[in-house]
Amino acid sequence: MKVKVKRKWNVVAVWKWTAPDDSCGICRQAFDGCCPSCHEPGENCPIVFGKCKHCFHMHCILKWLGQPQDECPMCRQTWEFQ
Amino acid sequence: MPPRKSMAQGRIKREIAEVKKDKQLLESGTVIKQVKEGDYTHLHGSIRGAPDTPYEGGTFELDIQIPDTYPFSPPKVKFLTRIWHPNVSSQTGAICLDILKDQWAAAMTLRTVLLSLQALMAAAEPDDPQDAVVAKQVSPADEHTAELSGKLQQLVDMGIDAPQARDALSATSWNVEAAIARIYS
Repeated sequence: MKVKVKRKWNVVAVWKWTAPDDSCGICRQAFDGCCPSCHEPGENCPIVFGKCKHCFHMHCILKWLGQPQDECPMCRQTWEFQ
Repeated sequence: MPPRKSMAQGRIKREIAEVKKDKQLLESGTVIKQVKEGDYTHLHGSIRGAPDTPYEGGTFELDIQIPDTYPFSPPKVKFLTRIWHPNVSSQTGAICLDILKDQWAAAMTLRTVLLSLQALMAAAEPDDPQDAVVAKQVSPADEHTAELSGKLQQLVDMGIDAPQARDALSATSWNVEAAIARIYS
């Protein structure tokens, strides 16, 4: 049997971070976007979770920690990466 | 490539919108606006004095400066309107509120700051004063109130109705014995 593909297929894919919130509690930008220091969303601007289950852009939480706080900006528990 | 967005500016834009939409702030007459259009580093706020507080009927203007490092450091907020409050300097308007200092967290917003200021105006902390003179004026009044309610409680404990006890006490300059004599005469 001969199959003829008449039209060219355009392949499209979407990806999304799996996070309980829509946006980062520090910069308030959407998680599907990137933090304000980055230009494009993706693996270079990841989301990280703390043991307290709160999540932020990695770049945002790193700016917050150690200056001199070490608590989650949401719940003030000591931040530990999950 | 587009220029990097400043985190402070991006957040403040959203937060001004958030304050304008917040029901609790709207109903209590708390508003916020930019001092100059397009400038997100300097804002102007105003809080209406809550009913049943010494501030009822007043409008209290706030100066809000947003540092470049926002939201990693807190906004700088002070009263422009002179206010009689133990936690606000009557000379400079500087506010003593932990979340504007070491208890600031990056997840806090202008909305939560304004709500905290409303709460501070409704319940002062005379034990942690920014203005010692005002704090001294506040505390004796509180002690006086506590003394009067202690006397009232004595009569209530004896089985007298609170309204009757209050009437008798105020008719006898808050002398407990005289009030008891008046009730049982």
